[in-house]
Amino acid sequence: MSGALKKGIEATFRDARVETPGDGRVTVFVPAESVPAVVHYLKERGFDHLTMVSCVDRPDDGELEVVYILSSYTNDPRLHVIVKARVPREGGGLGTVIGVFPNAEPYEREIHELFGANFEGHGRLIPLFLEREYAIPPFRKDFDSRKYVEETFDSIPAVQDE
Amino acid sequence: MTGRHEKGVMSMETAASASHTTTGEAGRKLELYFGPQHLGMVGNFSITLEVEGDRIRKATANPGYLHRGFEKLMEYRTWIQNFPLVCRVNVVEPDSMEMIYAMGVEKLAGIEVPERAHFVRSIYLELARVGSHLFGLWAYANMLGFDTVAQWAMYHRDLVLDLFEELTGGRVYHIYIWPGGVRRDFPKGFKDKIVSTLHSIGGCVPDYDTAFFNNRLFYDRSAGIGTVGCEEAKRMGATGQTLRATGVDFDIRKVDPYAAYDRVDWDVPTREDGDAYSRIWVVRDEMIESVHMIFKLLEAMPDGEVYHRIPNPFKWDIPKGEAYVRCESSRGELGLYLVSDGGDKPHRVHFRTPSYTNGLVILEKMLEGASIADVGNIMISLYVVAPEIDR
Repeated sequence: MSGALKKGIEATFRDARVETPGDGRVTVFVPAESVPAVVHYLKERGFDHLTMVSCVDRPDDGELEVVYILSSYTNDPRLHVIVKARVPREGGGLGTVIGVFPNAEPYEREIHELFGANFEGHGRLIPLFLEREYAIPPFRKDFDSRKYVEETFDSIPAVQDE
Repeated sequence: MTGRHEKGVMSMETAASASHTTTGEAGRKLELYFGPQHLGMVGNFSITLEVEGDRIRKATANPGYLHRGFEKLMEYRTWIQNFPLVCRVNVVEPDSMEMIYAMGVEKLAGIEVPERAHFVRSIYLELARVGSHLFGLWAYANMLGFDTVAQWAMYHRDLVLDLFEELTGGRVYHIYIWPGGVRRDFPKGFKDKIVSTLHSIGGCVPDYDTAFFNNRLFYDRSAGIGTVGCEEAKRMGATGQTLRATGVDFDIRKVDPYAAYDRVDWDVPTREDGDAYSRIWVVRDEMIESVHMIFKLLEAMPDGEVYHRIPNPFKWDIPKGEAYVRCESSRGELGLYLVSDGGDKPHRVHFRTPSYTNGLVILEKMLEGASIADVGNIMISLYVVAPEIDR
Protein backbone atom coordinates (compact mmCIF):
# COMPACT_ATOMS: atom_id res chain seq x y z
CA MET A 1 0.00 0.00 0.00
CA SER A 2 2.64 2.51 1.05
CA GLY A 3 4.77 1.74 -2.06
CA ALA A 4 1.91 2.51 -4.45
CA LEU A 5 1.04 5.60 -2.45
CA LYS A 6 4.63 6.85 -2.65
CA LYS A 7 4.66 6.40 -6.45
CA GLY A 8 1.27 8.08 -6.81
CA ILE A 9 2.20 11.13 -4.75
CA GLU A 10 5.57 11.58 -6.41
CA ALA A 11 4.04 11.25 -9.88
CA THR A 12 1.28 13.78 -9.14
CA PHE A 13 3.28 16.32 -7.15
CA ARG A 14 6.75 16.70 -8.59
CA ASP A 15 8.00 18.84 -5.69
CA ALA A 16 6.90 16.31 -3.04
CA ARG A 17 9.33 13.92 -1.36
CA VAL A 18 8.03 10.73 0.26
CA GLU A 19 9.70 8.63 2.96
CA THR A 20 8.44 5.24 4.15
CA PRO A 21 10.25 4.30 7.38
CA GLY A 22 8.24 1.06 7.51
CA ASP A 23 6.42 1.35 10.85
CA GLY A 24 3.04 2.04 9.28
CA ARG A 25 4.03 5.63 8.68
CA VAL A 26 4.42 7.50 5.41
CA THR A 27 6.00 10.94 5.60
CA VAL A 28 5.40 13.41 2.77
CA PHE A 29 7.47 16.59 2.56
CA VAL A 30 5.79 19.24 0.46
CA PRO A 31 6.22 22.96 -0.17
CA ALA A 32 3.76 25.11 1.80
CA GLU A 33 1.72 26.15 -1.24
CA SER A 34 0.90 22.51 -2.18
CA VAL A 35 -0.52 21.50 1.22
CA PRO A 36 -4.27 21.86 0.43
CA ALA A 37 -3.84 20.02 -2.89
CA VAL A 38 -1.83 17.17 -1.34
CA VAL A 39 -4.27 16.79 1.56
CA HIS A 40 -7.18 16.74 -0.90
CA TYR A 41 -5.36 14.12 -3.02
CA LEU A 42 -4.86 11.93 0.05
CA LYS A 43 -8.49 12.27 1.10
CA GLU A 44 -9.59 11.11 -2.35
CA ARG A 45 -7.39 8.03 -1.86
CA GLY A 46 -9.03 6.90 1.34
CA PHE A 47 -7.23 8.95 4.00
CA ASP A 48 -10.51 10.44 5.13
CA HIS A 49 -9.60 11.13 8.77
CA LEU A 50 -7.54 14.19 9.63
CA THR A 51 -6.31 13.11 13.03
CA MET A 52 -4.55 16.31 13.99
CA VAL A 53 -2.57 19.30 12.80
CA SER A 54 0.54 20.15 14.74
CA CYS A 55 3.47 22.52 14.52
CA VAL A 56 7.12 22.17 15.47
CA ASP A 57 9.44 25.14 15.89
CA ARG A 58 12.82 24.69 14.17
CA PRO A 59 14.76 27.78 15.26
CA ASP A 60 18.07 26.47 13.87
CA ASP A 61 16.62 26.49 10.36
CA GLY A 62 14.58 29.65 10.98
CA GLU A 63 11.44 27.73 10.07
CA LEU A 64 8.18 26.37 11.44
CA GLU A 65 7.21 22.85 10.47
CA VAL A 66 3.45 22.37 10.13
CA VAL A 67 2.47 18.71 10.42
CA TYR A 68 -0.79 17.13 9.21
CA ILE A 69 -1.48 13.59 10.38
CA LEU A 70 -3.98 11.63 8.28
CA SER A 71 -5.35 8.14 8.66
CA SER A 72 -8.38 6.25 7.43
CA TYR A 73 -11.68 5.24 9.01
CA THR A 74 -11.98 2.16 6.83
CA ASN A 75 -9.00 0.81 4.90
CA ASP A 76 -5.95 -0.10 6.99
CA PRO A 77 -6.32 2.35 9.88
CA ARG A 78 -2.83 1.41 11.09
CA LEU A 79 -1.31 3.35 8.19
CA HIS A 80 -0.59 7.02 8.83
CA VAL A 81 0.38 9.70 6.39
CA ILE A 82 2.27 12.60 7.91
CA VAL A 83 2.34 15.63 5.63
CA LYS A 84 5.00 18.17 6.52
CA ALA A 85 5.45 21.68 5.18
CA ARG A 86 7.96 24.27 6.29
CA VAL A 87 7.33 27.99 6.38
CA PRO A 88 9.64 30.84 7.45
CA ARG A 89 9.26 31.78 11.12
CA GLU A 90 8.67 35.43 10.23
CA GLY A 91 5.67 36.10 8.01
CA GLY A 92 5.30 32.49 6.92
CA GLY A 93 1.93 31.29 5.71
CA LEU A 94 0.17 28.42 4.04
CA GLY A 95 -3.28 27.70 2.66
CA THR A 96 -6.03 26.48 4.95
CA VAL A 97 -7.35 22.91 4.61
CA ILE A 98 -10.76 23.65 6.20
CA GLY A 99 -12.37 23.14 2.79
CA VAL A 100 -11.14 19.53 2.82
CA PHE A 101 -11.36 18.77 6.56
CA PRO A 102 -13.59 21.11 8.66
CA ASN A 103 -11.97 19.83 11.88
CA ALA A 104 -8.72 21.58 10.92
CA GLU A 105 -10.34 24.89 11.94
CA PRO A 106 -9.39 25.02 15.65
CA TYR A 107 -6.00 23.42 15.01
CA GLU A 108 -5.05 26.14 12.53
CA ARG A 109 -6.32 28.79 14.92
CA GLU A 110 -4.22 27.30 17.70
CA ILE A 111 -1.07 27.15 15.56
CA HIS A 112 -1.60 30.74 14.48
CA GLU A 113 -1.96 31.82 18.09
CA LEU A 114 0.83 29.78 19.67
CA PHE A 115 3.40 29.66 16.85
CA GLY A 116 2.56 32.60 14.63
CA ALA A 117 2.05 30.76 11.33
CA ASN A 118 -0.56 32.31 9.08
CA PHE A 119 -3.30 30.34 7.32
CA GLU A 120 -4.65 32.06 4.23
CA GLY A 121 -8.39 31.77 3.73
CA HIS A 122 -9.12 30.75 7.31
CA GLY A 123 -11.55 33.55 8.16
CA ARG A 124 -11.48 33.24 11.96
CA LEU A 125 -7.85 33.48 13.07
CA ILE A 126 -8.79 35.06 16.40
CA PRO A 127 -7.26 33.90 19.70
CA LEU A 128 -8.39 30.49 20.88
CA PHE A 129 -6.84 30.15 24.35
CA LEU A 130 -4.89 33.23 25.39
CA GLU A 131 -6.11 36.55 26.71
CA ARG A 132 -2.85 38.50 26.88
CA GLU A 133 -0.72 39.74 24.05
CA TYR A 134 2.75 38.35 23.61
CA ALA A 135 5.76 39.83 21.82
CA ILE A 136 6.79 36.34 20.67
CA PRO A 137 4.18 33.63 20.04
CA PRO A 138 4.44 31.72 23.33
CA PHE A 139 5.05 28.17 22.08
CA ARG A 140 8.15 29.14 20.12
CA LYS A 141 11.50 27.97 21.42
CA ASP A 142 12.80 31.51 22.03
CA PHE A 143 9.87 32.32 24.33
CA ASP A 144 11.18 31.76 27.86
CA SER A 145 8.22 30.81 30.06
CA ARG A 146 10.05 31.23 33.36
CA LYS A 147 11.40 34.67 32.43
CA TYR A 148 7.96 35.76 31.27
CA VAL A 149 6.34 34.62 34.50
CA GLU A 150 8.95 36.40 36.63
CA GLU A 151 8.58 39.63 34.68
CA THR A 152 4.79 39.58 34.48
CA PHE A 153 3.83 38.22 37.88
CA ASP A 154 6.74 39.50 39.99
CA SER A 155 4.44 40.65 42.79
CA ILE A 156 3.76 37.00 43.57
CA PRO A 157 6.83 35.52 45.32
CA ALA A 158 8.28 32.87 43.03
CA VAL A 159 9.95 29.68 44.20
CA GLN A 160 13.68 30.39 44.11
CA ASP A 161 16.19 27.98 42.64
CA GLU A 162 19.03 27.13 45.02
CA MET B 1 -4.40 40.20 18.05
CA THR B 2 -7.85 40.71 19.45
CA GLY B 3 -8.81 40.63 23.10
CA ARG B 4 -11.15 38.42 25.07
CA HIS B 5 -14.10 40.72 24.46
CA GLU B 6 -14.05 40.22 20.71
CA LYS B 7 -13.99 36.47 21.20
CA GLY B 8 -17.41 36.88 22.74
CA VAL B 9 -16.44 36.25 26.34
CA MET B 10 -18.38 38.19 28.93
CA SER B 11 -16.96 41.62 29.71
CA MET B 12 -18.17 44.10 32.32
CA GLU B 13 -20.25 46.10 29.86
CA THR B 14 -22.11 43.12 28.49
CA ALA B 15 -22.30 41.12 31.69
CA ALA B 16 -25.92 42.18 32.18
CA SER B 17 -27.07 38.77 30.90
CA ALA B 18 -27.32 39.64 27.22
CA SER B 19 -26.79 42.30 24.60
CA HIS B 20 -29.30 42.64 21.83
CA THR B 21 -29.80 43.95 18.35
CA THR B 22 -33.05 44.13 16.43
CA THR B 23 -33.36 42.57 13.02
CA GLY B 24 -36.34 43.58 10.91
CA GLU B 25 -39.25 41.17 10.75
CA ALA B 26 -37.36 38.25 12.19
CA GLY B 27 -37.76 39.78 15.62
CA ARG B 28 -35.20 40.27 18.31
CA LYS B 29 -31.82 38.60 18.08
CA LEU B 30 -30.03 38.07 21.37
CA GLU B 31 -26.54 37.16 22.28
CA LEU B 32 -26.56 34.79 25.23
CA TYR B 33 -23.64 33.58 27.30
CA PHE B 34 -23.78 29.98 28.37
CA GLY B 35 -21.15 29.18 31.02
CA PRO B 36 -18.59 29.02 32.51
CA GLN B 37 -20.90 29.57 35.53
CA HIS B 38 -23.97 27.62 34.54
CA LEU B 39 -25.71 24.55 35.90
CA GLY B 40 -25.73 22.83 32.54
CA MET B 41 -22.07 23.49 31.89
CA VAL B 42 -19.53 20.73 32.45
CA GLY B 43 -16.69 22.91 33.64
CA ASN B 44 -14.45 25.80 32.68
CA PHE B 45 -15.82 26.31 29.22
CA SER B 46 -18.31 28.69 27.71
CA ILE B 47 -20.42 29.05 24.60
CA THR B 48 -21.73 32.28 23.09
CA LEU B 49 -25.15 31.71 21.60
CA GLU B 50 -26.85 33.90 19.06
CA VAL B 51 -30.54 33.21 19.64
CA GLU B 52 -33.86 34.18 18.14
CA GLY B 53 -36.70 33.24 20.44
CA ASP B 54 -35.45 30.03 22.01
CA ARG B 55 -33.77 28.81 18.80
CA ILE B 56 -30.01 29.03 18.42
CA ARG B 57 -28.86 30.62 15.19
CA LYS B 58 -25.14 30.39 15.78
CA ALA B 59 -22.91 29.05 18.55
CA THR B 60 -19.31 29.98 19.28
CA ALA B 61 -17.27 27.85 21.65
CA ASN B 62 -14.85 29.72 23.93
CA PRO B 63 -12.13 27.54 25.42
CA GLY B 64 -9.09 28.87 27.26
CA TYR B 65 -10.24 29.03 30.88
CA LEU B 66 -8.02 26.08 31.72
CA HIS B 67 -5.12 26.66 29.35
CA ARG B 68 -2.09 25.79 31.44
CA GLY B 69 0.36 25.41 28.59
CA PHE B 70 1.28 21.87 29.60
CA GLU B 71 2.76 21.08 26.20
CA LYS B 72 5.17 23.99 26.55
CA LEU B 73 5.97 23.16 30.19
CA MET B 74 6.83 19.62 29.18
CA GLU B 75 9.63 20.95 26.97
CA TYR B 76 11.34 22.24 30.14
CA ARG B 77 11.16 18.94 32.03
CA THR B 78 12.88 15.59 31.57
CA TRP B 79 11.02 12.69 30.00
CA ILE B 80 10.19 11.15 33.36
CA GLN B 81 9.34 14.42 35.13
CA ASN B 82 6.49 14.86 32.66
CA PHE B 83 4.35 12.04 34.04
CA PRO B 84 2.70 14.18 36.76
CA LEU B 85 1.81 16.71 34.05
CA VAL B 86 0.34 14.40 31.43
CA CYS B 87 -2.20 12.85 33.76
CA ARG B 88 -3.55 16.29 34.60
CA VAL B 89 -4.48 16.96 30.97
CA ASN B 90 -7.65 14.96 31.46
CA VAL B 91 -8.87 15.15 35.03
CA VAL B 92 -11.65 12.62 34.62
CA GLU B 93 -9.59 9.87 33.00
CA PRO B 94 -5.87 10.48 33.59
CA ASP B 95 -4.93 6.87 32.91
CA SER B 96 -5.13 6.90 29.14
CA MET B 97 -2.96 10.03 29.17
CA GLU B 98 -0.26 8.14 31.07
CA MET B 99 -0.64 5.28 28.64
CA ILE B 100 -0.28 7.42 25.53
CA TYR B 101 2.77 9.22 26.87
CA ALA B 102 4.43 5.95 27.93
CA MET B 103 3.65 4.50 24.48
CA GLY B 104 5.26 7.51 22.80
CA VAL B 105 8.42 7.30 24.92
CA GLU B 106 8.63 3.53 24.40
CA LYS B 107 8.32 3.94 20.65
CA LEU B 108 11.03 6.60 20.47
CA ALA B 109 13.41 4.76 22.81
CA GLY B 110 12.63 1.28 21.43
CA ILE B 111 11.61 -0.19 24.80
CA GLU B 112 9.78 -3.53 24.95
CA VAL B 113 7.03 -4.17 27.49
CA PRO B 114 6.66 -7.59 29.22
CA GLU B 115 3.57 -9.63 28.33
CA ARG B 116 2.09 -9.49 31.82
CA ALA B 117 2.44 -5.70 31.87
CA HIS B 118 0.32 -5.51 28.70
CA PHE B 119 -2.47 -7.34 30.54
CA VAL B 120 -2.08 -5.25 33.70
CA ARG B 121 -2.24 -2.08 31.59
CA SER B 122 -5.37 -3.23 29.76
CA ILE B 123 -7.17 -4.15 32.98
CA TYR B 124 -6.14 -0.85 34.54
CA LEU B 125 -7.29 1.14 31.50
CA GLU B 126 -10.63 -0.67 31.38
CA LEU B 127 -11.21 0.05 35.08
CA ALA B 128 -10.48 3.69 34.27
CA ARG B 129 -12.99 3.55 31.42
CA VAL B 130 -15.68 2.20 33.75
CA GLY B 131 -14.87 4.93 36.29
CA SER B 132 -14.89 7.63 33.64
CA HIS B 133 -18.16 6.44 32.11
CA LEU B 134 -19.79 6.38 35.55
CA PHE B 135 -18.63 9.96 36.03
CA GLY B 136 -20.05 10.84 32.62
CA LEU B 137 -23.31 9.16 33.55
CA TRP B 138 -23.39 11.19 36.76
CA ALA B 139 -23.01 14.42 34.76
CA TYR B 140 -25.66 13.44 32.23
CA ALA B 141 -28.21 12.12 34.70
CA ASN B 142 -27.68 15.10 36.98
CA MET B 143 -28.22 17.51 34.10
CA LEU B 144 -31.51 15.79 33.18
CA GLY B 145 -32.71 15.87 36.78
CA PHE B 146 -32.23 12.17 37.55
CA ASP B 147 -30.53 12.94 40.85
CA THR B 148 -30.88 9.45 42.32
CA VAL B 149 -29.24 7.76 39.33
CA ALA B 150 -26.51 10.40 39.41
CA GLN B 151 -25.75 9.63 43.04
CA TRP B 152 -25.62 5.89 42.33
CA ALA B 153 -23.15 6.49 39.51
CA MET B 154 -20.96 8.66 41.73
CA TYR B 155 -21.03 6.01 44.48
CA HIS B 156 -20.06 3.25 42.06
CA ARG B 157 -17.27 5.39 40.62
CA ASP B 158 -15.94 5.73 44.14
CA LEU B 159 -15.74 1.95 44.42
CA VAL B 160 -13.53 1.95 41.31
CA LEU B 161 -11.41 4.71 42.85
CA ASP B 162 -10.96 2.50 45.94
CA LEU B 163 -9.37 -0.09 43.68
CA PHE B 164 -7.04 2.54 42.22
CA GLU B 165 -6.11 3.71 45.69
CA GLU B 166 -5.09 0.23 46.73
CA LEU B 167 -3.16 -0.39 43.51
CA THR B 168 -1.38 2.94 43.08
CA GLY B 169 -1.76 4.98 46.26
CA GLY B 170 -3.74 7.73 44.52
CA ARG B 171 -7.46 8.06 43.96
CA VAL B 172 -7.63 10.52 41.08
CA TYR B 173 -4.11 10.76 39.64
CA HIS B 174 -2.27 7.45 39.64
CA ILE B 175 0.96 7.69 37.61
CA TYR B 176 0.96 3.90 37.42
CA ILE B 177 1.93 3.26 33.80
CA TRP B 178 5.61 3.85 33.18
CA PRO B 179 7.88 3.38 30.15
CA GLY B 180 8.76 -0.33 30.18
CA GLY B 181 5.65 -1.52 32.01
CA VAL B 182 3.82 -0.52 35.17
CA ARG B 183 5.18 0.63 38.53
CA ARG B 184 4.25 -2.47 40.51
CA ASP B 185 2.36 -5.72 40.18
CA PHE B 186 -1.13 -6.31 41.56
CA PRO B 187 -0.99 -6.66 45.36
CA LYS B 188 -2.05 -9.92 47.00
CA GLY B 189 -5.75 -10.63 46.65
CA PHE B 190 -6.28 -7.69 44.27
CA LYS B 191 -7.72 -9.85 41.50
CA ASP B 192 -10.52 -10.97 43.82
CA LYS B 193 -11.19 -7.39 44.85
CA ILE B 194 -11.56 -6.34 41.20
CA VAL B 195 -14.00 -9.20 40.61
CA SER B 196 -16.11 -8.48 43.70
CA THR B 197 -16.21 -4.73 43.02
CA LEU B 198 -17.27 -5.26 39.41
CA HIS B 199 -19.89 -7.80 40.50
CA SER B 200 -21.41 -5.33 42.92
CA ILE B 201 -21.49 -2.59 40.25
CA GLY B 202 -22.74 -5.00 37.58
CA GLY B 203 -25.46 -6.24 39.92
CA CYS B 204 -27.00 -2.77 39.82
CA VAL B 205 -27.32 -2.62 36.03
CA PRO B 206 -31.01 -3.71 36.17
CA ASP B 207 -31.65 -0.86 38.62
CA TYR B 208 -29.94 1.62 36.31
CA ASP B 209 -31.99 0.29 33.41
CA THR B 210 -35.30 0.60 35.25
CA ALA B 211 -34.60 4.02 36.72
CA PHE B 212 -32.82 5.58 33.78
CA PHE B 213 -32.03 3.79 30.51
CA ASN B 214 -35.51 2.35 29.98
CA ASN B 215 -37.20 5.36 31.52
CA ARG B 216 -39.60 7.14 29.23
CA LEU B 217 -38.41 10.55 30.51
CA PHE B 218 -34.84 9.83 29.44
CA TYR B 219 -36.05 8.82 25.99
CA ASP B 220 -38.25 11.89 25.63
CA ARG B 221 -35.48 14.26 26.62
CA SER B 222 -32.71 12.76 24.50
CA ALA B 223 -34.09 11.06 21.39
CA GLY B 224 -33.54 13.17 18.30
CA ILE B 225 -31.42 15.70 20.22
CA GLY B 226 -28.02 16.61 18.77
CA THR B 227 -28.32 14.25 15.83
CA VAL B 228 -25.44 13.72 13.45
CA GLY B 229 -25.22 11.32 10.50
CA CYS B 230 -22.41 8.87 9.87
CA GLU B 231 -20.86 10.66 6.88
CA GLU B 232 -21.15 14.06 8.52
CA ALA B 233 -19.54 12.75 11.72
CA LYS B 234 -16.61 11.34 9.74
CA ARG B 235 -16.25 14.55 7.79
CA MET B 236 -15.88 16.48 11.06
CA GLY B 237 -13.32 14.04 12.43
CA ALA B 238 -15.51 12.44 15.09
CA THR B 239 -14.28 9.45 17.08
CA GLY B 240 -15.48 7.60 20.17
CA GLN B 241 -19.17 7.45 21.13
CA THR B 242 -20.04 10.31 18.79
CA LEU B 243 -19.02 8.17 15.83
CA ARG B 244 -20.06 4.80 17.23
CA ALA B 245 -23.56 6.12 17.90
CA THR B 246 -23.90 6.61 14.12
CA GLY B 247 -23.28 2.94 13.40
CA VAL B 248 -19.52 2.97 12.69
CA ASP B 249 -17.60 0.39 14.76
CA PHE B 250 -14.41 2.47 14.80
CA ASP B 251 -12.45 1.82 17.96
CA ILE B 252 -8.65 2.18 18.19
CA ARG B 253 -8.51 -0.80 20.56
CA LYS B 254 -9.84 -2.90 17.67
CA VAL B 255 -8.38 -1.29 14.54
CA ASP B 256 -4.88 -0.53 15.87
CA PRO B 257 -4.57 -2.75 18.97
CA TYR B 258 -2.17 -1.87 21.77
CA ALA B 259 -1.60 -3.36 25.27
CA ALA B 260 -3.46 -6.70 25.42
CA TYR B 261 -6.65 -5.77 23.55
CA ASP B 262 -5.99 -8.26 20.75
CA ARG B 263 -5.43 -11.15 23.20
CA VAL B 264 -9.10 -11.53 24.19
CA ASP B 265 -12.39 -11.50 22.32
CA TRP B 266 -14.71 -8.52 22.74
CA ASP B 267 -17.24 -6.45 20.80
CA VAL B 268 -17.53 -2.80 19.88
CA PRO B 269 -21.04 -1.59 20.87
CA THR B 270 -22.70 0.66 18.30
CA ARG B 271 -26.06 2.34 17.74
CA GLU B 272 -27.61 3.70 14.56
CA ASP B 273 -29.39 6.98 15.28
CA GLY B 274 -26.50 9.36 16.08
CA ASP B 275 -28.45 11.32 18.71
CA ALA B 276 -27.88 11.95 22.43
CA TYR B 277 -30.01 8.90 23.30
CA SER B 278 -27.77 6.64 21.18
CA ARG B 279 -24.57 8.12 22.57
CA ILE B 280 -25.59 7.50 26.18
CA TRP B 281 -26.67 3.95 25.31
CA VAL B 282 -23.28 3.34 23.70
CA VAL B 283 -21.68 4.53 26.95
CA ARG B 284 -23.80 2.05 28.94
CA ASP B 285 -23.02 -0.86 26.61
CA GLU B 286 -19.32 0.00 26.64
CA MET B 287 -19.22 -0.11 30.42
CA ILE B 288 -20.73 -3.57 30.42
CA GLU B 289 -18.39 -4.71 27.65
CA SER B 290 -15.42 -3.36 29.64
CA VAL B 291 -16.47 -5.36 32.70
CA HIS B 292 -16.70 -8.55 30.61
CA MET B 293 -13.33 -7.73 29.06
CA ILE B 294 -11.68 -7.30 32.47
CA PHE B 295 -12.94 -10.76 33.53
CA LYS B 296 -11.50 -12.29 30.35
CA LEU B 297 -8.18 -10.46 30.77
CA LEU B 298 -7.88 -11.57 34.40
CA GLU B 299 -8.48 -15.13 33.27
CA ALA B 300 -5.88 -15.01 30.48
CA MET B 301 -3.24 -12.99 32.35
CA PRO B 302 0.17 -14.74 32.33
CA ASP B 303 2.68 -14.72 35.17
CA GLY B 304 5.99 -12.91 34.93
CA GLU B 305 7.60 -9.50 35.16
CA VAL B 306 5.56 -6.31 34.92
CA TYR B 307 8.49 -4.02 34.31
CA HIS B 308 11.53 -3.87 32.04
CA ARG B 309 14.40 -1.85 33.44
CA ILE B 310 14.96 1.49 31.73
CA PRO B 311 18.18 3.54 31.86
CA ASN B 312 18.66 5.94 34.79
CA PRO B 313 15.68 8.23 34.22
CA PHE B 314 17.56 11.29 35.48
CA LYS B 315 20.21 10.95 32.76
CA TRP B 316 18.11 9.57 29.97
CA ASP B 317 18.64 10.82 26.45
CA ILE B 318 15.96 9.60 24.04
CA PRO B 319 17.15 9.03 20.45
CA LYS B 320 16.35 11.72 17.92
CA GLY B 321 13.12 11.11 16.05
CA GLU B 322 9.37 11.53 16.08
CA ALA B 323 6.43 9.31 16.91
CA TYR B 324 2.69 9.42 16.52
CA VAL B 325 0.90 7.01 18.83
CA ARG B 326 -2.78 6.68 19.65
CA CYS B 327 -5.14 4.85 21.96
CA GLU B 328 -8.85 4.80 22.72
CA SER B 329 -9.68 6.89 25.75
CA SER B 330 -13.19 6.83 27.18
CA ARG B 331 -14.01 9.77 24.89
CA GLY B 332 -12.52 8.69 21.58
CA GLU B 333 -9.24 8.70 19.77
CA LEU B 334 -6.44 10.05 21.91
CA GLY B 335 -3.23 10.75 20.01
CA LEU B 336 0.23 12.01 20.82
CA TYR B 337 2.71 13.56 18.46
CA LEU B 338 6.10 13.46 20.14
CA VAL B 339 9.35 14.89 18.76
CA SER B 340 12.76 14.28 20.30
CA ASP B 341 15.94 16.12 19.34
CA GLY B 342 18.10 13.49 21.04
CA GLY B 343 18.17 15.21 24.42
CA ASP B 344 16.88 14.53 27.92
CA LYS B 345 13.77 16.63 27.34
CA PRO B 346 11.13 16.50 24.59
CA HIS B 347 11.42 18.96 21.71
CA ARG B 348 7.68 19.05 21.11
CA VAL B 349 4.67 17.35 22.65
CA HIS B 350 1.19 17.67 21.18
CA PHE B 351 -1.90 15.78 22.30
CA ARG B 352 -4.81 15.03 20.01
CA THR B 353 -7.67 14.95 22.45
CA PRO B 354 -11.17 13.76 21.49
CA SER B 355 -12.89 16.64 23.32
CA TYR B 356 -11.04 19.12 21.11
CA THR B 357 -12.94 17.99 18.01
CA ASN B 358 -16.16 17.26 19.93
CA GLY B 359 -16.23 20.57 21.80
CA LEU B 360 -14.94 22.99 19.17
CA VAL B 361 -16.16 21.59 15.86
CA ILE B 362 -19.07 19.18 16.34
CA LEU B 363 -20.69 21.07 19.24
CA GLU B 364 -20.82 24.36 17.30
CA LYS B 365 -22.38 22.55 14.36
CA MET B 366 -24.92 20.62 16.45
CA LEU B 367 -26.10 23.69 18.35
CA GLU B 368 -27.15 25.49 15.17
CA GLY B 369 -30.94 25.32 15.13
CA ALA B 370 -31.18 23.64 18.53
CA SER B 371 -33.27 24.91 21.44
CA ILE B 372 -31.65 26.73 24.38
CA ALA B 373 -32.99 24.04 26.72
CA ASP B 374 -30.93 21.39 24.90
CA VAL B 375 -27.51 23.05 25.10
CA GLY B 376 -26.40 21.23 28.24
CA ASN B 377 -27.93 18.01 26.99
CA ILE B 378 -26.02 18.11 23.68
CA MET B 379 -22.79 19.21 25.29
CA ILE B 380 -22.72 16.53 27.99
CA SER B 381 -23.87 13.82 25.59
CA LEU B 382 -20.81 14.71 23.47
CA TYR B 383 -18.71 14.02 26.56
CA VAL B 384 -16.79 17.29 26.40
CA VAL B 385 -14.14 17.71 29.11
CA ALA B 386 -12.73 21.25 29.25
CA PRO B 387 -9.16 20.51 30.51
CA GLU B 388 -8.67 18.17 27.57
CA ILE B 389 -9.46 20.95 25.11
CA ASP B 390 -7.21 23.58 26.67
CA ARG B 391 -4.29 21.40 27.80
